[in-house]
Amino acid sequence: MTMRRRFEVLIFVATALCVAAQTPPPPQLGALAPANIAKSRPKPPFDVTGTWQHGGGQNNNFRFSPPDGFKLTPFAQAHYDAARKATAEGKVYQDDIGNCWPAGLPVIMTRVWPIAMVQLPTAIYMISGFMNSIRIIYLDGRPHSDPDVVVPSFSGESIGHWENDALVVDTRYFVDDHHWLDGGIPLTDKFQMIERIRLIDKGATMEVEYTATDPKSWVGEWKWTKRFRRMDDTDITEASCLPDLNEHMPSVKAEHTGR
Amino acid sequence: MNGFDRAKTITITGTVKQFKWANPHSWIEVEVVNAKGVPELWNLEMTAPGILARAGWKSTMLKAGDKATFGVHPMVNGDIGGQFVSVTFADGLTMTERGQQTATPGPAKQ
Repeated sequence: MTMRRRFEVLIFVATALCVAAQTPPPPQLGALAPANIAKSRPKPPFDVTGTWQHGGGQNNNFRFSPPDGFKLTPFAQAHYDAARKATAEGKVYQDDIGNCWPAGLPVIMTRVWPIAMVQLPTAIYMISGFMNSIRIIYLDGRPHSDPDVVVPSFSGESIGHWENDALVVDTRYFVDDHHWLDGGIPLTDKFQMIERIRLIDKGATMEVEYTATDPKSWVGEWKWTKRFRRMDDTDITEASCLPDLNEHMPSVKAEHTGR
Repeated sequence: MNGFDRAKTITITGTVKQFKWANPHSWIEVEVVNAKGVPELWNLEMTAPGILARAGWKSTMLKAGDKATFGVHPMVNGDIGGQFVSVTFADGLTMTERGQQTATPGPAKQ
């Protein structure tokens, strides 16, 4: 190869690399795109498709309460103290759910209404019987969104992957206001939750181990384990939060809130 | 839900104005004539109709104009209204959110 020919090849390769670097990656296929669903993937260890409801019972409280010896940030401590004071006075503190704000994760998971779940190879769609809140866990290998682009939400962005007999879900990108744990503890845009989901009891029970962090509200990791029972004899229904409804709900009337 | 005194169950007797069979909560509006002869409107908060239906409830079980006696967890601050506990119909049938019950509601308020 002559020197001139070598130079031409070099220029060609350099140009090709520049073009490749400027070409945006192909768009992420939607979770419902047939071409995405049809991609070859290992068979998942279980399928959560069904209707589930928090089971209650011993060691399965529906509340996501802080652990023993918990330490809050001053910001969260102020809310927590105000909530305790309101409760002692028989009032509701910052009842955003009662006023139609979405419950969001994690408390939406343990309301007394069932949750419909549909599992596809690419995602799990969850629709709560409470306000029909939707949650999507993507399983198609996509990364979390660019934090400068993602729209924060009450149930965040959930990305899951399979680890042996468990589905591990990382959820982040939450809203920074009107979002609470039980007990008046605020959840912020720094809230992050890891779930380890397994099916036990021959598929009749779904067990979820939660690990939650929110450095704007508390110190360290908080953990809970909740169990949900499969309910094959029920369906969720349409449910909306309506002004007409709240007018007749004594528990959410403003005079009973600790705002 | 908070604001209810769940340690206390009072009894009110009145006339049903509305019974709303709705998600996520059903509710009953009851007109009660107080001790001074003045009518008061009580809103009674209930659970979801799906749970009520499993317990044997139907949307037609209460109609405007029905007279009945209700067990209620009152508001902590004494305001009118509360959480539904039970209803006893004129024929003696008592229904709670868990189904038919033979027990009578708590002590009378008035």
